[in-house]
Amino acid sequence: MAADLLTAVLQAIIFPGAAFLILLSCILEWIDRKVVAKIQGRYGPLYTGPYGLCQPMIDIAKLLFKEDITPRDADKRIFNIAPILCFSLPLMALYLIPISREALISFDGDIILLLFILTINVITVFLAGYSSASPFSIIGGIRASLQMIGYEIPMALALIGPALAAGTLSISGIINWQLSRGLWTLMLQPLGFTVLFICLLAELELVPFDIPEAETEIVAGWRTEYSGRKLALIRLGMDLKMLLAAAIIVSLYLGGSEAPPIPPTIIFLVKLVPVILLLSISHAVLARFRIDQMVSGMWRYLTPLSIIQIILIAIGLGR
Amino acid sequence: MSYGSTIKVPFGPQHPALKEPENFTFIVDGDIIVDVKPRIGYNHRGIEKAMEARTYIQNIYLAERICGICSDAHTTCYCQAIEELLDIEAPPRAKFIRLIIAELERLHSHSLWIGIAAHQIGFDTLFMYAWHDREIIMDLLEYISGNRVNYAMNTIGGVRRDISQEKADRIKRNLEVFEERVKYYIKTVNNEPTILKRTVGVGILKPRDAVELCAVGPTLRASGIKNDVRRDDPYISYDEVPFNVITDDGCDVFARIIVRCEEMLESINMIRYALEHMPTGRMRVRVPMRVPEGEAVSRVEAPRGELIHYVRSNGTSRPERYKVRSPTLGNIPALCKMLIGQHVADIPIVLAGIDPCFACMDRMEILDIHKGKRRILSLEELKGRRWNGS
Repeated sequence: MAADLLTAVLQAIIFPGAAFLILLSCILEWIDRKVVAKIQGRYGPLYTGPYGLCQPMIDIAKLLFKEDITPRDADKRIFNIAPILCFSLPLMALYLIPISREALISFDGDIILLLFILTINVITVFLAGYSSASPFSIIGGIRASLQMIGYEIPMALALIGPALAAGTLSISGIINWQLSRGLWTLMLQPLGFTVLFICLLAELELVPFDIPEAETEIVAGWRTEYSGRKLALIRLGMDLKMLLAAAIIVSLYLGGSEAPPIPPTIIFLVKLVPVILLLSISHAVLARFRIDQMVSGMWRYLTPLSIIQIILIAIGLGR
Repeated sequence: MSYGSTIKVPFGPQHPALKEPENFTFIVDGDIIVDVKPRIGYNHRGIEKAMEARTYIQNIYLAERICGICSDAHTTCYCQAIEELLDIEAPPRAKFIRLIIAELERLHSHSLWIGIAAHQIGFDTLFMYAWHDREIIMDLLEYISGNRVNYAMNTIGGVRRDISQEKADRIKRNLEVFEERVKYYIKTVNNEPTILKRTVGVGILKPRDAVELCAVGPTLRASGIKNDVRRDDPYISYDEVPFNVITDDGCDVFARIIVRCEEMLESINMIRYALEHMPTGRMRVRVPMRVPEGEAVSRVEAPRGELIHYVRSNGTSRPERYKVRSPTLGNIPALCKMLIGQHVADIPIVLAGIDPCFACMDRMEILDIHKGKRRILSLEELKGRRWNGS
């Protein structure tokens, strides 16, 4: 009993828990930065570690030593809690995703919890912006929540697609279904995959949907007033969110980590890389939309598309 | 107009969309701008006053430093004004060299602008590409003059450096590379849906408004008005080099991008023609230190539009009064017109659309103070502009 508990704690803290996930998300940020730099004809991170591999970690470590400023007019309680939530919510959501043999937290209906966490995440962003009491932060926060109105429904429908096809609300259930079916959901529901991918770009606040933090318009958006440790937590949270987005795509649409006899973690990591590349390339080659264009585009195109996908599943296509 | 439920959004003096300090206060209703209050003068350096205290030769260098991008346009304009007072003319070869430098400057200024415009709409890849390719032109300018930014080519009565055959060959070679890139940009901006979505129909300036509000340069030409100092009042050797005045009827930011891209192609052809038809002869004529009494106005089509220099001489070796009207100032009223009715998210791209250069513009304030029209901000007022202190 005690040994079981110890294993569980170690799993949660080290592998495949927090330490592993944070390290992995830093490496993903490095891949993203390198790829975008390559596309733009720059070098990207270069000096810290081999090929600048340690740059994201050093960036965060540097922020930890910086002065932590709270604006005078800020709502201090929310202002302090928001970065912690920004960091811990994606981490918690990652516990639901099977990375090694099975997920740390796994129950029937965990996909609903995943959806819930994704939504709460945006509310945290809104609160972070709102509590800062700076015009740029407030506009950034409002834009983030407005953006959510656009992408939340199609994203939820795109997440439900595989669940409908597999007939289960558990993420590991969906992965096992893909394994037994012998096909990835991507091949069965390409429409749902496209919708989910675009919505996740918006969730991650990447170009063309980096509207809540559009640098040339509202400085750093909802993060404008954050500095020091809080900014470090937010940065880490963004990296974890990127990992989470890639992990969701891998688990629900790319067959997850199960492909015996190869160790599941290796499979997971191998599948993660193309997803990150796709995310990086798509945010390097586009310009930013305006908030009204984004919301109306989401409702005009993505929501009908995701509904069509659900109807297709209902009549038996894509199962 | 009453602003019941409107909020004020400050934009500058320190803002990532503005690379130079300038303040615009936007009164917005929801997401729509209902009024704009520009507040110029943050970059005032007293250059006009400084010019009165220096000799005509020293002032060439001061004029060069009015702006970091269109430094050659300012010296050309300055030298022309003084040459007019002295009643001399630069030799034909010097005029051709001035034209080549002016067009190279237009190329690097426009490619810089394309990068900035792309950055304003979040398209950082095009930004990096444009600035990378701009280096071709910067290297050429350095090769010709020894300097990347302040070329120091012009002097009263001619130019200081020659363009040899060897240099001409290299310019032609590098321009070919650059021409390919410009064509690629035109293709990209015409086909990339996100760029079109952000620029077509944004920042509309109707031809009539453009004329009434005295817009200048590519901003005016993108509203379909065929106006170019190079054609209307040819200076240096623009009357000897054939070129088209590029216009576009789009009246929006997209039209401004297209006009500037097409102008770059036109400039490349002009440089090629000028290099092939360059007359031989002297590069400069000797001029006296003292300038006879009189007044002169000189006009130049800078990359951003019409640039006006005015000089009044009292017969000594120093000007009595010097005045510069930079193109950005001419575009500010038109800019305010364009911004009204736009979304807050479109502010950066519309602002960048006129290619503002506040360093050029902000000598303006001194004249206004003399006339008592307007006061410059005091230090106390500036201090009061902190976030919570206001």
